[in-house]
Amino acid sequence: MIRNINKLLRKPKQKNNDIQAEQEQQDVTPVDFLSKHFDHNVEALRLVYDRCSDVVFRPFLLFGKTRATIIYIEGITNVEGMEEFVLSPLIKETASETPSLNEFLENKLPISKVKRMYTIAECIESISSGNPILLYERESDGFSLGLAKWEKRAIEEPTAEAGIRGPREGFNESLETSMSQLRRIIKSPALKIQSMKIGRYTQTTVAIAYIDGIADQTLIEEITNRLKRIEIDGILESEYIEEMIEDNPYSPFPQILSTERPDTACANLLEGRAVILIEGTPFVLVAPICFFSLIQAPEDYYQRFIVSTFIRWLRYAFLGISLLLPSLYVAILTFHHEAVPTALLLSVSASRETVPFPAIVEALLMEIMFEALREAGVRLPKQVGSAVSIVGALVIGQAAVQAGLVSAPMVIVVAITGIASFMLPRYITGIAIRMLRFPIILLAGTLGLLGIMMGIIAIVIHLCSLRSFGVPYLAPLAPLKGSELKDALWRSPIWKMDKRPHFTGDFNSTRQSPNQAPNPKKGGD
Amino acid sequence: MKNIFRMLCIFGSILLLSGCWDRVEINDLAIVTAAAIDIKDDDQIELSLQVFIPKALSVGGGQGGSGQGGGGGATTLVRSQRGSNISDALSKLQSKIPRKVFWGQCKVFIFGEKLAKQGIQEQMDFLLRHPQPRERAYLYVSKGNPKAALESIPPLERYSGEVIRELSDLHIGMQVTIQDVQEGLIGVAQAGALPLIKILPPAKGEEKLQGIPYIVGTAVFKKDKMVGTMSEKATRGILWLRNEMEAYTVSVKPEGVKGDVSLNPVSARVKLIPQIRNDKWKMLVNINTEGAVIQNGTNLALTSPKSLQTVEKAYQEDIQKRIELAIQQAQHEMKADIVKFGKEFYRKYPKEWKEVEDRWAEVFSEMEVEVNVEAHIRRQGYINKPGGLPEKEVKKQ
Repeated sequence: MIRNINKLLRKPKQKNNDIQAEQEQQDVTPVDFLSKHFDHNVEALRLVYDRCSDVVFRPFLLFGKTRATIIYIEGITNVEGMEEFVLSPLIKETASETPSLNEFLENKLPISKVKRMYTIAECIESISSGNPILLYERESDGFSLGLAKWEKRAIEEPTAEAGIRGPREGFNESLETSMSQLRRIIKSPALKIQSMKIGRYTQTTVAIAYIDGIADQTLIEEITNRLKRIEIDGILESEYIEEMIEDNPYSPFPQILSTERPDTACANLLEGRAVILIEGTPFVLVAPICFFSLIQAPEDYYQRFIVSTFIRWLRYAFLGISLLLPSLYVAILTFHHEAVPTALLLSVSASRETVPFPAIVEALLMEIMFEALREAGVRLPKQVGSAVSIVGALVIGQAAVQAGLVSAPMVIVVAITGIASFMLPRYITGIAIRMLRFPIILLAGTLGLLGIMMGIIAIVIHLCSLRSFGVPYLAPLAPLKGSELKDALWRSPIWKMDKRPHFTGDFNSTRQSPNQAPNPKKGGD
Repeated sequence: MKNIFRMLCIFGSILLLSGCWDRVEINDLAIVTAAAIDIKDDDQIELSLQVFIPKALSVGGGQGGSGQGGGGGATTLVRSQRGSNISDALSKLQSKIPRKVFWGQCKVFIFGEKLAKQGIQEQMDFLLRHPQPRERAYLYVSKGNPKAALESIPPLERYSGEVIRELSDLHIGMQVTIQDVQEGLIGVAQAGALPLIKILPPAKGEEKLQGIPYIVGTAVFKKDKMVGTMSEKATRGILWLRNEMEAYTVSVKPEGVKGDVSLNPVSARVKLIPQIRNDKWKMLVNINTEGAVIQNGTNLALTSPKSLQTVEKAYQEDIQKRIELAIQQAQHEMKADIVKFGKEFYRKYPKEWKEVEDRWAEVFSEMEVEVNVEAHIRRQGYINKPGGLPEKEVKKQ
């Protein structure tokens, strides 16, 4: 009953919202055509940019007789260029009468990007993105002059994905720069970049990059469709997009990879995945991905494959530790006292003698404390950051143990777990695993090893059911694809990875010719 | 979302309502490190538990100083209680210990000699039935009061249970677990052997309680009753036969020279070959062993094959003697098949075995045993000639 009433109440509300949204959209972007009356057009734009102090209307006389106005926004427009290439020639020159002023201007202006504008909406978009609009008497169209220019960060090292060997440049906030970085690595014209605008107010440019012939066309369509479906007021970071297009929004595991390294993005492009670039953030999205992409570092491919394989195994081991170690400790201390060597149990029992809490409370306390320390360290300004770590290390590591509030083995367990979770090269994956640790600790504290098994089974079932744009999350392990384990469980040498992954690059599955193992006998003639 | 919330509620209540029921904090456990069981005059069982005291070991904590100060003291306490059987004694004992008795780490169970002679079946039932005691815990028989073994405060190890266990792990005597005894008692042989322990009196200058229990030989069981003991020397022979022999030292006197040569068996292959010919049961024991010289007190240079042969011969005779002594005792004195001959016969002659199953002890005691030992010396250590002996005095052959 109650639910039905709720439904009835809810529906009209939603409709109201829709109508409101439509109205707002109309308010922002009027679709009127430019009229023949110059004053009318300028007035319309003046109305739109009412109370915008950074918008400049510069009236002048074209060729000394025709009234004209140039409209731009200060700060995102190249003013020097405008003065040199637009204003000074147009004001100084006194050209003879020409039948069509438009054509004359189009031929005469020394600017590469010039576009005719027919509607007010087009003009607004052009002005907002930094391109000045030139309007003048007697014509029902204007010109958009490609003179956008604003301050941007230089290309810097990717701070969130550091490495020892490999390219040191990262994407930055400017979409053009990011796209150019991709283009610089993949020079083939098969690299396609399609862009669209998302966000009612921010009008953020979002670009989908893929390699034509490697990426599945239906995948690109699906991504485009999902992006088109987004109806939002603003996009400030790629996470906005990620959450709006992922397959399972309630999962703790990210189903889309975010990276700020062009080399990682390009490696994924070459495997038939799509890269989504978003203006205003250095983090691009990669889809579809599987779980193993999240626990692999770009550097795995930049060092000897034996080393990489070892490091991958180390990472898998520490993935397990970061998920399970505190739970195992709690489970064994509360339920399975016989499962540890006697000497160890006696030492632990001696150190726990003064601790006033049960093991599970102790574990939760310490884990939460650790998370708090980590979070505090991330948010604080650099100067204060060291203070946090000192206080954390002293208070927790030293004082708590000495006061007998926490046992020393527990501190060791928490420290190892913390290090283990930082072993994962992607910060988001580490956090997902750390979050899952807490329910498993609870399970361990109530049901022991049995509870831990239940937790693991639940996580594995969840991982098996996850999809990233239709690609099974645990591929190539489940479904098993033996030939692809070479890049999941271990890292084969580059000359052995002849095929692209089955789920993403199957249309053009051959990456390189086989049998390229270097061998002195093969040498040139 | 609503469904997820509902699921969480249900699962949460499952965890909180039904979980935790057997949750015991480690601080609430009395960890038993060794247990002794004996029988008293009034036919009552006396159960003694050696319980670990965590406080004694705790180094950290606010009272760090006092904790370390108590380092020399006992890390365990011993409590005893009489009762009609183990479980009765245990339930009474629990009321004297403020923490829950926990058997899971108890690796040492000691039976009193008197109890062993009366039979250990009843006690074995408790140890096997109770879920906590480990099947791999070691069993011992104590000469004298087993409680004394628990009460001793060893100078080297943390507690006396650890001492006995470590000694067993060195394979000096027998190493018998609950599982082994169970198999021996219900198996074909219906006999068993447990290591026999005794308190080593404290050395001069040591405190009164610092004598440690050590393994002196073997207690031989027929069915569940102890029928006799074997000396350490005979025990070695049994270990050879059971192929449990590990590093220990054999000192032999080679013929024709003064002094001893000590050897360490490095490897041993023991083969038991049962034979039934003309209704006569016979066991052929073939032993192939290789030894390493660890001390040479003679003037023989072992580089020469001839002197090596004399030593090898002495070595072989020594082993043979030991084994024969052990077989003699087991076969004729105890009449208990602790060397697992029965199993071998059962495997090779199951039909014939079935016929004599009931009077196996008799057949065992009458059977002929032939021991063939082949001994070699393969390693001589870092030096070839006798150490510290002038070249002239080395006997050359």
